[in-house]
Amino acid sequence: MSDYKTNSHNIYLTGSFVPTDRLSLAGIIGFNKSKAELETVIMPDITGRLDGALANLDFSFDRMHEYSNLDYEMLTLAVNGEYRLSPLVLLTVEAEYADLSDNTGYVYGIETGSLVFIRTGIRFSF
Amino acid sequence: MKKLISNLVVFVLVLGLFVIPVSAGEDEAVQTYSVWAGSHYTGFGDYTRKVGEYNLGNDEFLPELKGYYRFRDATRLFSFKAHYYDHKNISVDAKGTLSDRFTAELFYRSLTHQQGQDLLANLETREAGGAKILTHELRDKGADYHSDRYEAGAKFNWLVSRDNNIRIMAAHRSVLRRGEEQKIGSNHCYSCHITSQSVNIDKRTHQFEAGVQADVEKFTLGYQFGYRIFDSRAFDPAVYYDSAMHPTLNDLSYKVEFPSRLNYDDTILAYGAYPETEKISHKIRMKGEVGKGQLASSLTFNQTTNKKVELTSDAWAGVLNYAVLLSPRTRLVAKASGTRKSNDDPFIDLRPWREGRPAPVTTPSYVTNFDFTRYSSLDRFEGKISAEVIHRLTPRITLDVLAGFQLIDRYDYPTLDESYQTKRFIGQAKMRYRKGLKYANTVKYRFEKTSDPFRSFRGLFEARGFDVLEPAVTIPTDPPSRFIFYYQREALRYQDITSLPTDYHEFEFSSTYKPNMRYSLTAGMKGKYDKNGDLDSLDVEHLTLQPNLSLTVTPAPRWSFMAGYTFTYNKSRGPVTVALFDG
Repeated sequence: MSDYKTNSHNIYLTGSFVPTDRLSLAGIIGFNKSKAELETVIMPDITGRLDGALANLDFSFDRMHEYSNLDYEMLTLAVNGEYRLSPLVLLTVEAEYADLSDNTGYVYGIETGSLVFIRTGIRFSF
Repeated sequence: MKKLISNLVVFVLVLGLFVIPVSAGEDEAVQTYSVWAGSHYTGFGDYTRKVGEYNLGNDEFLPELKGYYRFRDATRLFSFKAHYYDHKNISVDAKGTLSDRFTAELFYRSLTHQQGQDLLANLETREAGGAKILTHELRDKGADYHSDRYEAGAKFNWLVSRDNNIRIMAAHRSVLRRGEEQKIGSNHCYSCHITSQSVNIDKRTHQFEAGVQADVEKFTLGYQFGYRIFDSRAFDPAVYYDSAMHPTLNDLSYKVEFPSRLNYDDTILAYGAYPETEKISHKIRMKGEVGKGQLASSLTFNQTTNKKVELTSDAWAGVLNYAVLLSPRTRLVAKASGTRKSNDDPFIDLRPWREGRPAPVTTPSYVTNFDFTRYSSLDRFEGKISAEVIHRLTPRITLDVLAGFQLIDRYDYPTLDESYQTKRFIGQAKMRYRKGLKYANTVKYRFEKTSDPFRSFRGLFEARGFDVLEPAVTIPTDPPSRFIFYYQREALRYQDITSLPTDYHEFEFSSTYKPNMRYSLTAGMKGKYDKNGDLDSLDVEHLTLQPNLSLTVTPAPRWSFMAGYTFTYNKSRGPVTVALFDG
């Protein structure tokens, strides 16, 4: 029997500010830190049961549990703003940065990566 | 794809007819338009398939467009929304309502999904005494796995007559998925060779529903027909199965002995094929007033057929819900449901084991036939009953108590003509306290006691002691040689195994304090614990704790902040086993 333990911390802060009737701003900071570990697997001691046919096999699995370990952090930063150019025309700007740090890797290997996302446009209302 | 889009355009134009002829002369009509035109840029660093799982762009600006239109007058409502993110991410939704007579909706959405590659790294090669215990091979290293999903659908609801409120409904939905995916093939134990390759995806699901509904005296009666098909137009993937031979001994006799124990080797065969599914369903519904309460019920029959192999599964399901006010402060909700599922029992025809091979050492040959009929553990009756009483103790306190019972009776499990029953008792109590907008508190506890949850009978662990097996062959030497084959080791397995619990506890608490409209503080805690105490040599249990805290502050009309923290702790205890093959 073995324990598999997961600890996940998730924290966020959002804010919005409307400095003028024409301008509104908002932002978010998010951070997730997660870790999961499988307890070291202690296999039964079968030393006394190994006969000639099995003596060539190594029944220790000291590092087997490490494959299931997870350890990663994800940081997300996002800001967006809207500026009303006229009663019918709105300028929008968004930016987001996401950074994933994968410290152990798993099925897909090390998944460390970052994303920068920028979006801007103009909305016309009628 | 083009057909889907052309159908969409035609339908939007038809829906538009709702609006155009009348809007010009209708003074009370209100129309709203908005168009957003812009661009987005995505830039990636390092591994992109996790942070950019649903993003197509890579270090480039792509055009983006959004549109919205809404028309409304005294009897009609029409809305249209569209969003073009990139050529693989598009959504369109159009809705029209004509008084209470007719509603229609049409939608289309698509997205792309980029997937990583399973590196098979956990399938670690170990060598001992020259025996390769396990090998893996990525034949498509660095492959670009992705799938593009397209979904289109339409819904109609037409009030045919106000007499008896007769309505006709119809709905259609199609989902297509195309791209490439990873398929993993496993060789037999003689080589323990796992291979990976890229294969095309071309999956299609089409679903159609039609129904009619009418009021008859105090009841509303309805009938709904459903038809769904799924198939894959991609070629079934094929993989080469290695020649069967002893992993270490290069003896010629093993090169004929090993294949004789397998259904196939040294050949290319299709694997991982998708089914071709057809599902037909009929559902009748009835709801209305019975006594002082409201009754809602339905009876459904589903038949699902995998047309590739002509295997059919039937399911009958009945649901009965009754809600009544027992007093001005007390409400009772009673529910009962029953489902009966039955599946075809396919006959599995296997090649005779050791066909053409002599007996060990001497003749006559020892050939065994392992043909069998596969009886499904999904053949079952499942019944549920529950009663929930919601009582307002005081104007601020509400108590909610629920009791239920569930029975699952599996036919032909674990063996033919045997029955395996799971019984579950459920108890739950929930209390809410609310004082205006200032305080809101909820506390909940749920308990489930299950006897005989589903388990795989004798599915794990060999008992030590080779001599407990009866030899398949006794060779008349002096002294006689006893010969035990590998397949006989199945009889050494003794442990029933499951990860499902016999005892389940759930606790939930949430409290919100809002002294004024500027501040709000919420704290809560969720906890779950389950264990199985019926397994003689396993100790299976799970624990989850999840505290949370959030704060909302609005210091001034133009400022607002929200902050929160959630912690999740999870612990699972279960058996860890290692599959071994020593050659």
